[in-house]
Amino acid sequence: MSSASPQPEEAAAPAGSPSEFLKNIVGKRVKVRIGSGVDYHGLLTCLDGYMNVALEETEEWANGRKTAEYGDCFLRGNNVLYISALEEL
Amino acid sequence: MASTILPLELVDRCIGSPIWVLMKNEREFTGTLMGFDDYVNMVLKDVKEFAVTPEGITETDLGETLLNGNNIAMVRNESMLAVV
Repeated sequence: MSSASPQPEEAAAPAGSPSEFLKNIVGKRVKVRIGSGVDYHGLLTCLDGYMNVALEETEEWANGRKTAEYGDCFLRGNNVLYISALEEL
Repeated sequence: MASTILPLELVDRCIGSPIWVLMKNEREFTGTLMGFDDYVNMVLKDVKEFAVTPEGITETDLGETLLNGNNIAMVRNESMLAVV
């Protein structure tokens, strides 16, 4: 199982699947946690099958404290532990 | 003689059930499995994240979450515990 290739596009993707989730979550406020445990809260501008993520109005939270703010933030997908919705989808 | 079952089929049977996901590191997640893909990236809802830190175990509540399959080591179906 290689992490180097993006998720395949499926014609009839099941409702709860990752590709469906990713379609629904663009434009929402999300929390992206990376492997080190640092969080990034921001507006999800776009993402791809590698879980590369672009955020706007981003806050960086480490050890429960806000450590930085970024207007635009790009996270490389190999670092991403999870992408979690901060608002109702 | 039991019929063979494929691992991804077993995960598919968990859709809709509460599950417990263990990562390769000192981190665990519980939640309801909404779906997954060929890489076992998982979509969970009503998620709790458990992380082991020097201070103890920290618990975090998350909304609907896409968990990267890269770090997943094991998945347990929590609803099966009631059978025993």
